[in-house]
Amino acid sequence: MELSNIEKLLEKYFEGETTVSEEKELKVYFTRETVPSHLEKYKDLFQYFSEESTITATKDLKLNTSSRKSRYAWMGIAASIALIAGIFLTNMPPNPDETLGTYEDPEIALQETKKILNMVSQLMNEGKQELVYLNEFESTTEKLTK
Amino acid sequence: MKEGAFITLTNGFKDKLFRLAKRLLVSNEEAEDATQEVLLKLWKNKSKMAEYKNVEAFAMTMTKNYCYDKLKAKETGNLKIVHSNYKDERPSLQRELEARDSLDWVGKIMDSLPEQQRMIIQLRDIEQYNNAEIADMLGLNETAVRVALSRGRKKIRVELLKKHNYGVV
Repeated sequence: MELSNIEKLLEKYFEGETTVSEEKELKVYFTRETVPSHLEKYKDLFQYFSEESTITATKDLKLNTSSRKSRYAWMGIAASIALIAGIFLTNMPPNPDETLGTYEDPEIALQETKKILNMVSQLMNEGKQELVYLNEFESTTEKLTK
Repeated sequence: MKEGAFITLTNGFKDKLFRLAKRLLVSNEEAEDATQEVLLKLWKNKSKMAEYKNVEAFAMTMTKNYCYDKLKAKETGNLKIVHSNYKDERPSLQRELEARDSLDWVGKIMDSLPEQQRMIIQLRDIEQYNNAEIADMLGLNETAVRVALSRGRKKIRVELLKKHNYGVV
């Protein structure tokens, strides 16, 4: 390529107006063996660029195998299910089939209720009879307070 | 997506991620870590992979963000990433070494640029993406990319001229 052309391209290059393909031309030109002395200084630059593009990462990518992780996750889930199931199964009292009878007819229901209430009051009265001797306390305290 | 398919897909641009990370973080090890980290993230979200229109560009953006985070974390921790390759600074006798040296100079000049310019030059001059792709990756508009590119290149030229004329930078 002509020298003047290269110089023009260089000007454009520093203004940031060259296209990628023009920059490639410059790179090709400056990586040649002989370059006019006044352009010698740019040789390093373009050589550096083309050299830098060959650097590669040395480490290989290691993807942590997700299978191991998920296996542990499954183990955790299984353990927690077992735990919860255990708690519920041991603590739940055996549910007896306690269906209490009920009456369909309101008349009979009333009679039955009355019967039960009577029984309760009877028992109460029987209990109260035992408390008669408490009156003794009352009479003695009355003597003292007089 | 299977592991094998993922690896073949990412192998296409893995080195580009690495080079970008290296450009920003300088240290080889950090760049390796960054690349691994980004690819692993990508692998974890592989179910969403079909939604990305350009996985490569997406991965580049992830790398950029990851490196920025790293750099920020270092700054707050009052640590700076210093690339220290302890080298004999004697003038090398062999021409080959001399050439290697002057290429290293270019590297040093580049690493002294602001992060954004450095990244744009990396993506443009080394990876040969076009401005539209770079704008997309970095979340900038094309004009901003072109301006930053031009500024970065001019700075490199100034430094190169200094070195060429005086032999020092």
